[in-house]
Formats: sequence, structure tokens, C-alpha cells
Amino acid sequence: MKLKILPTHLREKKRYLAFQAISEIPLERDDVISLILGASGDLYGAYGTSKLGLWVVKFWKYPLSENNRVNGIIRCNRDEINSARAVIPTITRFKGKRVVFQTLGISGTIKGAITNFIKLKTADE
Amino acid sequence: MALHAQKLGYDGTALVLNSKDYKDKSAIIKAVQSIKNNLHHDCPFQIKVGLEIQARNPADLKKQVQKYRDKVDVILVHGGDLKINRAATEEPRIDILCHPYRNRYDGGINHVLAVKAAENKVSIEINLKYFLLTRPNQRYRVLSQFRQIVKLQRKYKFPLIITSDADSVYDLRHPQDIIALASCFGMTNDEVIHSLSSVPHDIINRNKIRKQIILPGVRLFNNGDPGS
Repeated sequence: MKLKILPTHLREKKRYLAFQAISEIPLERDDVISLILGASGDLYGAYGTSKLGLWVVKFWKYPLSENNRVNGIIRCNRDEINSARAVIPTITRFKGKRVVFQTLGISGTIKGAITNFIKLKTADE
Repeated sequence: MALHAQKLGYDGTALVLNSKDYKDKSAIIKAVQSIKNNLHHDCPFQIKVGLEIQARNPADLKKQVQKYRDKVDVILVHGGDLKINRAATEEPRIDILCHPYRNRYDGGINHVLAVKAAENKVSIEINLKYFLLTRPNQRYRVLSQFRQIVKLQRKYKFPLIITSDADSVYDLRHPQDIIALASCFGMTNDEVIHSLSSVPHDIINRNKIRKQIILPGVRLFNNGDPGS
């Protein structure tokens, strides 16, 4: 049986970080998740990472762009937004190749993050 | 890379050369000019030329500073050795002392050097690339070195500058990310903004009027008025 969903006041309050990444080799969604959680583990350890509540919720690939650009949205806890943001720039290498992550902005909703920072339509054109 | 930096919201970069590469300067300046033409013209983006001096000993350092001071915009010193750190902080003609903590276990500067750096307005550099490219199991050491420098900075008020030391787009970070990262070694938001924007600005402004300064505190004006 599926658990009943928590009432709103008991749910974790969250924020959404829009990011873009460029790398020398193409990135998949699973790679991004393991990179971010690995970097967080290196910076804060298991205890600190457990408080951040990091997860990659959305992910877009632009295979035609130069430098294998990807965009995405990361979810994190509202109270730990600054420490979650500090994890993003510490990612430097993936399988021995260079990769860089840059945050575009912070939003309270996924929709807001897409319209304000990812800008799907302009990116497709 | 400069185009990318502009997208991230930076106002300018300093192109830092090694003293060995200095002879190819004319080719590099041509490349800089072509980049400048490609930039968007509506917002000003500055590219300054800097030189990183790698000195073997303090006497060599003084000689090289004398040689290059008038030729480039910013003078940096490759720190790490205690004697070089000491000589660099005592030299008012130097702008930035790079990574005094390089290959060391302590911060590389103590209270004596901090006082000297504050007197001579030599900026101490916090090098993000050095932190990010250190192996994860060694990063604690770099963080504690940065924390020690920040602690000395609060007490002695020498200028502190945060640099990316980028040689490709893979080293550039968003300014807000840097602020978040700097909170890991105990800097507040205002301190980071100060060291990212005001300190480089001061260095550039100071170097513009450097030729007019005769003695510390005395400045020569073109129209013959005695400056003070």
C-alpha cells in the first residue's frame, strides 16, 4: 500500500536551483546525480549531505551545442540553500575530463525556474 | 573565454602572463584586440595585462619588479616560499601576492607579514582553482589555510582578493556561487563582494596614478599644482 502524502505543513520546504553545465564528454542524468552527490559528500560528508536533501528533478540535453551543454534543476532544502549552492562550483572533473557547473538562479517552483532561468523556448531556437 | 565571463556578469579580466612568455607580448596583444572587437559594445568589458613573477630569491624578485613595473598593468608574485612571501609583502610596487600557502601546511603568512601587507597595500590572493583542483581528501587543508588568512585579514585589514586563475571556461564560476563557496571558509557575503569587486577596482585605479606619485602621499599633477 502506498503511503498517504504528508499534509503541507509537515512537508520539507524546498527550493529549486537552475543550473547549466558544460563538459568535454556528454553527460547523462545519472552522471549528474552521482557528480553532485559525490561532490557534496566530499565537501560536507555524509552528515552534511543528509541535511541538504539534494536531487536532480529536471534535466535537458543540448547535444548539438558546443561543449556538450546541459541544463537542469536541482531540488534542495529551503534552509540549506547557501550550503547547497556551495556544492555546485566544487565539481571539476568527470571521468578524468574537465566539467563545470554554474547556477543560473534560485526559484520556489519548478515552473518559475524554467521560465525565468532555463528559458526553454529561446534555447531551442 | 572572455565572452563567457561577460555572460556570467563579470566586468573585466586580467590576462596574466608568465615572465618567460613575456617576449611574445606583441602577438598576445593582437589576440586581445581581436577579442575586444568581438565583445558586445554596449557594456564595457576591460582586459588588463598582468605578469606573474617567479623569483628564485628576494634579490631576483626586486630586479624583476624593477624591470616590468612600467610595462604591465598588474604585477603578481608567485608565492609559496617564506622568503619570497616576506619580500613580496614588503614591496609597495607589487599588487598581488599569489597563493602564499602553495605546497605548505600553514597559511604562509603570519601577523608580521599581515602588517607589512596592510602597510604596502599588497593584496593576498585566495585562489579558487588551487582549492578546486586539490584532491578531495586534501581539501580540508586548503580550507583551513583560507580560514587562517581570513582570520588575519579581519584583524589587520590587508586587501584580500579572490581569483579564479582560469585558463579555460571550465575554471569560471558564477559570482553568486563563489559567495556560497566562500561561506565554507567563514567569509560573510559583504566581505566576499568587497574582495571580488572593490579590491581589483582599487588596484586598477592605484596603478593608473602610480606614475604621478613621487613619494608615499605625494602626487604630481599635470598642471603644476602641488598635490598632497
